[in-house]
Amino acid sequence: MLNFILAGTIEPGDFTGFTFFIGSVSMLAATVWFLMQHGQVDKKFKDSMLVAALITGIAAVHYFYMREQWTAGLGSPTELRYIDWILTVPLMVVEFALLTGVGMRKLFWASVIMLVTGYFGESGVTGVLDAQTWGAISGLAYFWMAYEVGCLSIFGGPSGAVGNALTSGSGKIPEAGRMLQWFVLVGWAIYPIGYMAGTEGWYSFVAIDEGAMNIIYNIGDAINKIGFGMAVWYAAKS
Amino acid sequence: MDVVVKSKLAGLILALSIIFFGLESSYSILLFLIVMLSIGIPHGSVDHIIAFINPKARKFDSKLIFYTTYLSLIIFNIIIWVLSPFLGLLVFLIISCYHFGETQVIGYNPTDNKILNFVIGANILLSLFLNNIVELQEILYIIPQFATLDLSAFDSVFFLLISVGILMLSIVNFDIKRKVPLYAEITILYMVFFHTDLLTSFALYFGFCHSLPMLMLEFKEFKTENFIKFYLKTLPFTILSIFFGFLLYQFNNDLLTSDNLILFVFIVISSLTLPHVFIMKDFVKDK
Repeated sequence: MLNFILAGTIEPGDFTGFTFFIGSVSMLAATVWFLMQHGQVDKKFKDSMLVAALITGIAAVHYFYMREQWTAGLGSPTELRYIDWILTVPLMVVEFALLTGVGMRKLFWASVIMLVTGYFGESGVTGVLDAQTWGAISGLAYFWMAYEVGCLSIFGGPSGAVGNALTSGSGKIPEAGRMLQWFVLVGWAIYPIGYMAGTEGWYSFVAIDEGAMNIIYNIGDAINKIGFGMAVWYAAKS
Repeated sequence: MDVVVKSKLAGLILALSIIFFGLESSYSILLFLIVMLSIGIPHGSVDHIIAFINPKARKFDSKLIFYTTYLSLIIFNIIIWVLSPFLGLLVFLIISCYHFGETQVIGYNPTDNKILNFVIGANILLSLFLNNIVELQEILYIIPQFATLDLSAFDSVFFLLISVGILMLSIVNFDIKRKVPLYAEITILYMVFFHTDLLTSFALYFGFCHSLPMLMLEFKEFKTENFIKFYLKTLPFTILSIFFGFLLYQFNNDLLTSDNLILFVFIVISSLTLPHVFIMKDFVKDK
């Protein structure tokens, strides 16, 4: 079990370990910030701020664990990462539902399919279908989600109900919504890259070093999770 | 901030402290016992008063009828456990799902939907068990159907994923007031269930998400000036319950002669829970 005070120290030159450390403390700082802002924002945004704090809070806990595993020389903390994602990804998608009041059912379904099939592909637990097929199904669920929240509308394309509701929202919701759409489109793209690096398939030429992959995940996670909360806070401050 | 939220926050802080600072597994039984004796059992130790002060409660003609019914249900449950542990477990799970669910959705259930109560409680218990399934297999070795299941192909992430998936689908498919806060609240519980062992998980959930909020609601209902005075009222039946536990342990049968103390405590809790559920069902109606 974790004891964060006694957690291993980061060796000089261990840049990956350093990003785990930065990830954990930045998530913790963001949690405190969002909780402090919870009392400052309008009542209708309070749940959004609380969810933002929860996302970074849950991630902070897992980043402390991941840092310990990494610094103890126990390899890449893939399992802990999945635990973190399983708990935080649905919370991130509900931010859209909180801001717009629509689409929770579709977004939940999409995230369940995305996570379950992604896990099936990466773990090989089912014994049916190969990693690339599970990955494709998971990717389709991601694109469905991206469509629903209006990521394609960034380029003038069509949008689902959630995206339309973001565009027609009051105050700074459309601007915040656009930020969130960018996070889903670009920020979340690191996860399929990680999947491809960790499984066999037509993409096997993608070979990324374990340490480098963790750096990408750590930076991506910090930007996505804290950024998500900041975008919601931006809407709430108006 | 209302008492229910305060109680849950206290539990969250304790849970996070345990996760961060680490708790040796040998201490989890101690944590479990402290929580059960100080909060768990006391929250049901005023049932005999609640049953009579709550105007919406089912009517008992006299205290004698109340006590007879209450004790009969406890004895009935023990007999079920002795005759068929599987049936005993099944009864406990069904009753607990409903009871845990109805207290968890206080303030969230706009239509007093009984199925929602059951489904939310089932979600919580399912996650508690799935996230500690290997430990549970060791405890429930007397149920061969479960003890012989081969779970080696699955890792812990799989069980967490299943729990979260079922929770998400449950939340979207029911009419819930403020779906997101309820989902978020239960998500934190799932994180705690994953990172702590079965006893610690149960102690944290049962103590701070179920018993303490109920104890605080009972305190409000009693309109007693201070909490200590109210807490003292819980002591007689808490002590009696502990005595009942020891008595049961002394006069155990083949099932209870096992070294498995956790299973024994499990049976005692389930026996105390059965009549308590009926009293609480009326109590939480207007909460």
